[in-house]
Amino acid sequence: MATATTGRGGRGALGLLASNEVGLALLIAVLVAIFATVNPGFTSPFNLFALSRVMGIDMVIGLSMMVVLVTGGLNLAVGSIGVASVMLGGWAMQVAGVPVLPSMTLAVAFGAFLGWINGQLTVRMGVHSFIVTLATMSLFFGAMIVATRAEAFNALPRSFVDLGKLRYGGFVSGMLPLALIVGLGLWLFFNRTSLGREILAAGANPQAAELSGVRVNRTIVVAHALSGALGALAGLMLAARNGAALPSMAGHIGMGWLLPAFLAPVLGGTLLTGGVVSVAGTVLGAAMVTIITNGLLQLQIGEFWVQMCLGLILLAAVLLDRARSVIAERRRSVA
Amino acid sequence: MLKGIWGSDWFGLFVVALVAGTGLALFQPAFLSPFNLYVLLISFSLWALVAMAQMVIIAIGQMNLSVGAIGGLVAISFAGSMEVWGLPVPAAILLGLAIAALCGLLNGVMTHVTGISAFVITLATLSIFKGLNIGITEAQPFYGVPDVVKAFGNARFEGLPHMLIVPVVAIILIWLLFNRMVLGRQMLALGANRHAAELSGIRVGRVVVIAHVISALLAAMAGMLAVARLQLGQPTIGDDWLILSFAAPVIGGAVLAGGHISVIGTCLGVVIVTLINNALVLLGIDPFFVQLFLGGLILIAVGLNRWRERRLAPA
Repeated sequence: MATATTGRGGRGALGLLASNEVGLALLIAVLVAIFATVNPGFTSPFNLFALSRVMGIDMVIGLSMMVVLVTGGLNLAVGSIGVASVMLGGWAMQVAGVPVLPSMTLAVAFGAFLGWINGQLTVRMGVHSFIVTLATMSLFFGAMIVATRAEAFNALPRSFVDLGKLRYGGFVSGMLPLALIVGLGLWLFFNRTSLGREILAAGANPQAAELSGVRVNRTIVVAHALSGALGALAGLMLAARNGAALPSMAGHIGMGWLLPAFLAPVLGGTLLTGGVVSVAGTVLGAAMVTIITNGLLQLQIGEFWVQMCLGLILLAAVLLDRARSVIAERRRSVA
Repeated sequence: MLKGIWGSDWFGLFVVALVAGTGLALFQPAFLSPFNLYVLLISFSLWALVAMAQMVIIAIGQMNLSVGAIGGLVAISFAGSMEVWGLPVPAAILLGLAIAALCGLLNGVMTHVTGISAFVITLATLSIFKGLNIGITEAQPFYGVPDVVKAFGNARFEGLPHMLIVPVVAIILIWLLFNRMVLGRQMLALGANRHAAELSGIRVGRVVVIAHVISALLAAMAGMLAVARLQLGQPTIGDDWLILSFAAPVIGGAVLAGGHISVIGTCLGVVIVTLINNALVLLGIDPFFVQLFLGGLILIAVGLNRWRERRLAPA
C-alpha cells in the first residue's frame, strides 16, 4: 500500500518481500509467537483486550504524525493538542452538560483548529514546522493547564466511559476497529482524492507541485489540521480508556506521545523528507510497538526498560531503512 | 550605523533585558533583594549551560533532542556512583563527563555516518538515554549526595552563587570557540553550507562529532549542577529542558537552519527567560503561565528574526 508520487513499481516478488509492510507483518507474527510461547498469559482474552485497546490508540497517534510527515514537516504538538482537546471535551461533557457525541465532535474540531493554527503559523512565518510546533506544544499545553488549573475531569458520563469497555468477539476492544477505519479513510484520502494526492505531491517536491498548480501552502495547512483532529481523536480514545480526562495523560507538555508518534510511521516506511506515505505501514508499525511494549511488560522484567527498548528499536529501524535505500541505490546504478 | 546596531543580535535583547530588569526593580523592590538575585543567578547558571548545549548543535545546522536525557543520565550516574560505589567527587565528575562524551560521540557518529537527520537519531537516543536512566534508578532518586557537593550547591560569595563559575567559564570558552578558533568557524561554515564546507576541505565528520561531544559535555555540566542544587540525584533532571534549550538560542537570534548563532545573544535570551520567570513569581502570577510564556516567546522571537532577515536582506 506504499504510495509514492515518484512510483516505486516494478519490484516484482522480491520487492514485495522486501517491502516494509510484509516485513513488519512477519516480524509481528514472530514476536507474537515468541511472547505467546514464553508467557501463556499473553494470549489470554484479558490481555488481548488490553493489548488491542492500546494498539488502537497508538495507531491513531502514529497516523496523526504521519499526515504531517507526508508534507515534509512534523508536529511536535500532537500530544499537547490531544490533551488540550480532550480537556475541552471533558469540560463540555462533565461541566457544561453537553451530550457525549457533540462533546466529542467539539474536541475533534478543536484539535483540528489547533492544528490549523500550526499550519497557518508554519506557512505565514516561512519557518520549519519543527520550531513552530515546538513553540505551540508549550503554548497549547500551558494554556490548557492555566484553563483547567491542572485538574482532571473524572466524572465523565457513563456512555462515554463505556466506549472504552466496548469489546467484540470477547477480546477485541472497540478501539482497534475504530483505528483501522480511520486508517482506511486515510488510505482512501491519499490514494483516491485529489487533495490527498496534492498533499503527497507538495511533500515530494514543493516547487514542482506549485508550478503544476498545487496550492502548496493550503496542503500544509490541511495536513496540520488533519493531524490535530487525529491527535484529538487519540486523546478521546485514551480518555475513554482511562475513564477520565487527565492533563497529565501525555506526559510533560505532551512529550510522552512523541516516541510512539514517530515510531509507527518511521517503522512503516513513511519518509521524514515527505512525499511518501504508507498508511498500512504506520498501522503495522504501531501494532508492533504495542506488542513489544505489552510483551516486555508481561515478562515482568520490562517495566523500567521498555523505553530504552523502544529507543533501540527506533534506531535499528532507521538504520535498516537507510541501509535498504543505500543498497537499492547501488543496485539501480549497477543496472 | 543604524543597520549595524539593528544587525547585531544582542543589542535589542540587551535593551529588553535592561528595561525588564529596571521595571521589575522599580515596581517590585523584592527583586533586588540579595536572596532573589541569588536565586536568579542559580537559574541562570543551569539554563545557560542547557542553552549552550543546544546552541552548539544549532550552529552546525542540526538539532539535539537528547540534551535533557544526557543531562539526566549524567546526573544520576554522578550521584549514583558516589552513593553506591563511594567514588570520590572528582572521579564522579570525570565519570559523568566521560558518559556524556560517549553519548555525544554516539549522536555525532550516528548522524554523520548514516546521514539520517539528527532529529530522528537524537529522538531515538533521547529514549535510550532516558530509558537507561529509568532502568538504572527505577525512577527513584539517589539521596546519598556527599556534603561537599551539597555545600557547593548552597555556597555563595556576596550574593553570587559559587556554581556561577561553571557557566561563566563555559560561556567564555564557547565564545572563544566560535569567535577565535578555526574549529568554531568550521562549525559555522558547515551549518551555513555543508556542500561548500566539504569542498573547501573541512573534515565534516570530525566537526559534527566534536560539536555533539561539546553539546553533551555542556549538558553533563548542567546535569551535575542540578544535582548540587537539588541536593539529590533526581531521575527527572533534564525532563523539562527541551523547550528552554531552543528558546534561548532562538531569542538570541540563532538561525535554526544553521550557520549563525550568537553566544552573547543566547546568554541574554537566558537572562530574559529567567527575568520573566522571576517576574511571574514576584508578581504572584500563576506559575502555570510559564509554559504559555515560553511558547509565545519562541514564536515572537522566530517572527522577529524572520522579519529582521527580510528587512536586512539586500533589496
